[in-house]
Amino acid sequence: MVKAYYIMIAGVGGQGTVMLSRIIGDAALMRGLHVRIGETYGAAMRGGAVHSHVKVGEEIHSPLLMEDEADALLALEPLEGLRRGLTYLKPEGVVVINTRRVYPIDVNVGVAAYPPVDRIVDALRRLGGVVVAHDFTALAEKAGTSRAMNVAVLGAFSRVIEGAETPFDREVLVEAVKKRVPKRWVEVNVKAFNMGYEVADRALK
Amino acid sequence: MPKHVVGVDQPGLRAVLIGNEAVARGAIEAAAQVVAGYPGTPSSEVIETLSLVAKDFGMHVEWSVNEKVALDVAVGAAIVGARAMATMKNAGTNWVMDMFATVVYGGVSGGLVVYSADDPDAFYSSTEQDTRPLAKAVGVLILEPKDQQEAKDMAKAGFDYSERFELPVFLRSVTRICHSGGDVEFGEIRRSRNKVFFDRHYKLPFRWNVYGPFKYGGKVGPTAKHAWQLERIEEIKDFVNRSEFNWIEEGEVPLGIVASGIGYSYVKDALAKLKPDGWPWILKVGTPYPLPEEALRKLIDNVDKILVVEEGDPFVEEQLYAFMKEYSPEKPIYGKTRRQLVLRYGELGIAQVVNALARFLGVEAPNIPAGRRAVKGEVAKILAPRSSALCPGCQHLGTYWGLRFALIKAISKFRGRMKGVWIVNGDIGCYEQGGYGIFAKEIEAGEARESRRVMFNNPYEILDTNYIMGGGIGVAQGEFHAGYRDGPIVAVAGDSTFFHACMPAIANAVYNKAAITFIVLDNAWTAMTGHQPSPASGVTATLEPARRFRVEDVARSLGVEHVWVVDPYNVKEVEKAILEAIETSVEKGVPTLVVARRECILQVVRRLTREGKELATYVVDEGRCVGCRLCVQLGCPAVGWDRERGKAFIDPVLCVACGLCAQVCPVNAIVPSVKGKTLRDYVG
Repeated sequence: MVKAYYIMIAGVGGQGTVMLSRIIGDAALMRGLHVRIGETYGAAMRGGAVHSHVKVGEEIHSPLLMEDEADALLALEPLEGLRRGLTYLKPEGVVVINTRRVYPIDVNVGVAAYPPVDRIVDALRRLGGVVVAHDFTALAEKAGTSRAMNVAVLGAFSRVIEGAETPFDREVLVEAVKKRVPKRWVEVNVKAFNMGYEVADRALK
Repeated sequence: MPKHVVGVDQPGLRAVLIGNEAVARGAIEAAAQVVAGYPGTPSSEVIETLSLVAKDFGMHVEWSVNEKVALDVAVGAAIVGARAMATMKNAGTNWVMDMFATVVYGGVSGGLVVYSADDPDAFYSSTEQDTRPLAKAVGVLILEPKDQQEAKDMAKAGFDYSERFELPVFLRSVTRICHSGGDVEFGEIRRSRNKVFFDRHYKLPFRWNVYGPFKYGGKVGPTAKHAWQLERIEEIKDFVNRSEFNWIEEGEVPLGIVASGIGYSYVKDALAKLKPDGWPWILKVGTPYPLPEEALRKLIDNVDKILVVEEGDPFVEEQLYAFMKEYSPEKPIYGKTRRQLVLRYGELGIAQVVNALARFLGVEAPNIPAGRRAVKGEVAKILAPRSSALCPGCQHLGTYWGLRFALIKAISKFRGRMKGVWIVNGDIGCYEQGGYGIFAKEIEAGEARESRRVMFNNPYEILDTNYIMGGGIGVAQGEFHAGYRDGPIVAVAGDSTFFHACMPAIANAVYNKAAITFIVLDNAWTAMTGHQPSPASGVTATLEPARRFRVEDVARSLGVEHVWVVDPYNVKEVEKAILEAIETSVEKGVPTLVVARRECILQVVRRLTREGKELATYVVDEGRCVGCRLCVQLGCPAVGWDRERGKAFIDPVLCVACGLCAQVCPVNAIVPSVKGKTLRDYVG
């Protein structure tokens, strides 16, 4: 029996959290597994906090993770990564975190302070296992579009889980990216994926 | 290729669908012919999805102006033999109750599915209302899915069930089904479509006219039809004993769980986590009304006590209690109101079900070690909130800015005549964020029964009241007719809300002479639920060109004589118009209208991005900035305040170059950055 695998994706509206959860869902289908993705995304507002609970396995029923259940945290924005990691990351859970900040209105108007990103990364190291932190937005821009940031994070994730017992590997995730992304953006996204992979590879060596 | 995977005609295909997409697929597999609804989160994606593939299946899919009209449309289709569905959120179900309670007197000939999306925990709603009691009160079969697969299967079966009993079927979903993704295996698409015909005496004489001389059970008219319906319910009660959506899983210990809808999925995952020594009995309920009594008896006979797990009200729990009172009164029930193991408010959630099951089964629930708890407590200290706010560049920011200063000027003008305590009545839509109070301080509640002026300096505290779609304009009139004269009375609503529910209220205001000022924030789309078209958009659900309604034309035709139409990106113009409108309504004792019109900024920016157009941003000239913070008071997420430097700044990631902050700056310190064009350069 394939071990169930739980992923928490955290970000803000417009960063592609939903797209990322769907890519992972497709990869799970390709492996013949069941998928549950828990999300709320009602208002069309830009910049609101968004997170996805992704559960993959042979026997799963409900869509939500419990506290400390996430095998992996994919953080598309640092503060949101901290917020969800704090609740859901399990002690040995792996983390890929984009260090590019999107300021909340609370910070911009001065009623709250944005924590230093290195402190966020340190905090996630205390809460979980391996952490790969990088400016994946800049990386995706280099690949051709900042909108491929989510896929660059996925590429890094595919390197982080190498050797671990998970339902995923680099090949199936790339296939899923190719399936989900609009045709004219496939090349750029695969490039971003591979660049994300290399970043994690260097970070882990 | 179909524009959405739900249109792929390939039985056996597996795809990840959210519950609403799964319901759409079910409607396609059932060969539904007419689907109507009004946008309401979390229900909207059924029609959004179907509108993409409607043409491929010869299906009429529409956004109706409100849910009540949507159900009327669906009923019309179903009495001429077609398969029809109406979609709505919980609040919308309240709207349809008149027709819903009446159509069951005589029923339908084509299958009719009423789809309602409840929102436990009120993620996107003004209440947590459970709509199942409404459907039970009406007397129809309720289906409640455990996951996305069942959402698809039930939507499809719902049409068959409806045709079998000639009554509507109520499909009740919840946010965690509607908006959660799950793998769904596709079934066959029904090849035949229902024939469309009309026979006024089809199977029953004078069937479609509730007052027709229909005779049944020794009665005539509506009472006879009621008797007919009650017989159908008896048939349904028998039928649910054989429904594929109810089943028993035999256990090893005399403990029973009754799990309805998504409650079943939580129970299954919770048991896998708790791994009890002896497995309990489970009755999986897919028809929370009527309950499958044969399975209930079997469960009760085999257990000593029962836990009910369901999302929403203790709806199954109450019915079970009534049933057991006769059948087995000594066995205890655990649930939301009896030996409370589950809260009556908020969503069910996996954690709560794990804890409830642990207590019920007498096993230990997993917990977080104290050391880790302490680490979390420490880490949490650096966390910052991310409050829900209007979008960067949202035109409502301009309207609310103008409204705020118009109100301040109005009370100064009416000093002596009024105490200076205005009331702004809100409504449902993006602009409802004017009441979210994201920066509000702790408030002391008042006891004095005196009008109290509340000052605020941001748009997120501007709305004094807010209840329901179209409610503000009516509530405002009541305030006026009660004799409230301590300040101006204003109501705000959006364009989609205007067509949904405000028109009768406007006629009422003119007819009954309410001196109120109504402000319509017209952004041409039903923006908050995801930019569905409304009568203000000029297109239908399937993007056919349609008449574009103007709010002011409708209001004038309803007798509103004083109307201002303004651009929310011109804050001075907005302020002047609202002030004049308030003065006019107070002086003349009539309702006045201000329409603040500009297309939703998100739509505009998306279009510009698609066209490859680059937007400049605005920047703060720090040499000129005097640190007055007026621009910060605008409430735009892109406008920031640098505490150390004592200067404002513009967040270049968020700024869409609308220029609103530049308008409110008294010293012209906010200017477009040198490179690129501003939003106004593109769209005026």
